[in-house]
Amino acid sequence: MDFGLGQREEALRLEVREFAEREIPETFIANFLDEESRDEDWAFSLSISRKLAERGWLAMGWPERYGGRNASHLEQMVFAMEAAYRGIPGLSMGVSGTGWVGTSLMMYGNEEQCRKYLPLISSGSPDGVWCTGYSEPNSGSDFASIRTSAVRQGDEYIVNGQKVWTSCAHRARWCWLAVKTTLNGGKPQDGISLLIVDMKSRGISVNPLLNYSGEHIFNEVFFDNVHVPMVNLVGEENRGWYQLMKSLAYERHSFCGQSYGAARRILDGLAGFAAATRRNGRLIAADPVVRHRLANLAVELETLKMFAYEIACKLSEGALPTYEASRNKSVADHLLEELALAGTDILGSCSQVERHSKLSRMNGLIQRQYLMSPGTAIAAGTDEIEKNIIGKFKLGLPKSY
Amino acid sequence: MNFKYSEQQDMLRTMAREFLAGECPKSRTRELEQDARGYDPGTWKRMAELGWQGLLLPTEYDGTGADFMDLVVLMEEMGRNILPGPFYSTVALAALSIMDYGSREQQARYLPGISGGETVWTLAVDEDPADCDYSQIRASARLQDGAYLLNGEKTLVPCAGVSDFMLVAARISKNTVLEKGLTLFIVDMKKPGIEVETIPTITGETLYQVRFNNVKLDSVDVLGAAGTAENMLGRILDKAALLKCAEVCGACLAVLEMSIAYAGERKQFGKPIGTFQVIQHRLVDMLIQVEGLQHLVYQAGWMMSTGADCSAQIAMAKVKANEVYQQTALDGIRVHGAIGFSLDHDAGLYYRRVLASKFFPHDAGYYLEKVAAGIGL
Repeated sequence: MDFGLGQREEALRLEVREFAEREIPETFIANFLDEESRDEDWAFSLSISRKLAERGWLAMGWPERYGGRNASHLEQMVFAMEAAYRGIPGLSMGVSGTGWVGTSLMMYGNEEQCRKYLPLISSGSPDGVWCTGYSEPNSGSDFASIRTSAVRQGDEYIVNGQKVWTSCAHRARWCWLAVKTTLNGGKPQDGISLLIVDMKSRGISVNPLLNYSGEHIFNEVFFDNVHVPMVNLVGEENRGWYQLMKSLAYERHSFCGQSYGAARRILDGLAGFAAATRRNGRLIAADPVVRHRLANLAVELETLKMFAYEIACKLSEGALPTYEASRNKSVADHLLEELALAGTDILGSCSQVERHSKLSRMNGLIQRQYLMSPGTAIAAGTDEIEKNIIGKFKLGLPKSY
Repeated sequence: MNFKYSEQQDMLRTMAREFLAGECPKSRTRELEQDARGYDPGTWKRMAELGWQGLLLPTEYDGTGADFMDLVVLMEEMGRNILPGPFYSTVALAALSIMDYGSREQQARYLPGISGGETVWTLAVDEDPADCDYSQIRASARLQDGAYLLNGEKTLVPCAGVSDFMLVAARISKNTVLEKGLTLFIVDMKKPGIEVETIPTITGETLYQVRFNNVKLDSVDVLGAAGTAENMLGRILDKAALLKCAEVCGACLAVLEMSIAYAGERKQFGKPIGTFQVIQHRLVDMLIQVEGLQHLVYQAGWMMSTGADCSAQIAMAKVKANEVYQQTALDGIRVHGAIGFSLDHDAGLYYRRVLASKFFPHDAGYYLEKVAAGIGL
């Protein structure tokens, strides 16, 4: 066993910190899941994506021929942690781009697809922004029941149907789309395929779905006789489910480092606030309830760090983390929720003011997390689904549904 | 970075698991709860033959000079199996202290006996069971005519009734301001003036009250330098806390595994109860907690073996261990239902023992304060 970081990782962490100090204004509060909401945030995020790309950081784990720099899984993890801790936006090219589209294309796409799409992503181009079309109005956790169909016609698929909760669809150039290519017979899992869809195609309409704080993160996407060239099929027809299970593991895993960094930023911020603020005649930091609550969260944060490193090690040994990715997402989501709630208690009544208000504290970090947490804990699989996966793959328990 | 056991650790784990399963099945653990000594001297001897007591001790004292992490792995197996007896007090509390702070003479005199399984040791610090503040220690050892006279009373001491030697914290000067004058003594339990009283517990592990009445000690009985026990105790009890966490980790793994197995066997409503999502998610929660604990323990253990300062990591591991053991033991019984609450079932053995680890060396509040200080509070 060896849990130390090497010189490479330590140096990288320092570089990221210096980059953030130079490029990111202190008042900018990033949350990697809602940068697509406001136009000015999005423009800023993409400008940072390009700067990250210049350093080979945007898709650092990819091979050089696709615009990466062959970084190890541990370097990628350290980068994600530090970048999120320093509040760097623009890390993911529309959530999916660097998170799982690239990795998935390299796992089961073909060489032409890799050559065409990966450099767009890794260079931080607006044409490298992706959205992911999985959920439908009647297919949430029961993903295999999707009904958006793709029917072959000549050398094209004709796509019809509707996706929902599609993050970033209003910014994306491409959609990573799950469709049914076989409607009859067999298990529902066996008829799913993955397509790359140009969001400029005729027949696609994108409607905003505002979240409860009025932010425009996700959308409904309608497909009305959309023509998709057959060369845009990713991997094997009707094998999409099995490919997706791998992609989803990456998706959940790709959040983990960023969640850790975001959580550490909040914990440090709260500790700093408590140590500098008096309430009821004493420093908040002198309150044993606050001390113990934050200390307990620090223990959970340390646990998440070890979980994140464990996956990085597994990946570098060539193993695909299945249950670990679900575990880490569950732990990270829970920690971020708890931090947001602790934050509201520690900031007190000022935690309810709008984040740009003059009464807002910690640059509105707590309000932002409070509003984002419930959604983050649903995206890419609810806690209940993650626990089903862990029960099945790690504990060998029978399917319960 | 690497999360894997070394080859030697793998061998040690396999060997320990087989040995302990044969040597100390749970039926034996139950018998030993009723035994006045609380352990099996035969097992103790055979463990010494395997080199366990001397695992970390230098070869010149008949030890094997292994890595600290190896001891972590071994203690995890002992916790998994619930091995009653004085291994923890002899090795984690005493042998490592003598190895770290004893003079060459003391090491040469005492360590081979520990490696050989000939002597049993323990450590006595606490007087008020709830107090982690060393300044409250009142036991005194006044220098009189060239000898120290030890007086005082120690409470909730593990294994005192079967120990040949005991490390005792006492004050050599009247100065009770802070920890000045606090000294660790090596006390031979055969000396006159020592009274040991049994304190029965609900955990399955007996504790003791120990009284010293003018016990005569020599200056060669001082461990390390006189008056420096505060620093030593900080580090001794850090190691002890970490090894306690390793034990707890093994115990949690055992409870988790028996619960998973039971959920697969026990049928209700015509199906194994492990089919029900409510049971599945409880088991998954247990798994996540226990894996997290194991990582924190291993991280601290690895840091300890590299010589890095890991006091903060140990504090985090101990906070986690307290929390996870309590919850896992409770959940384990919950998954088992009534059978888990019965005398003959193993789940209850673990549940009762939670309290034996929870407050040793200190309670969670003590470690939470350390963590709080570490994040700038």
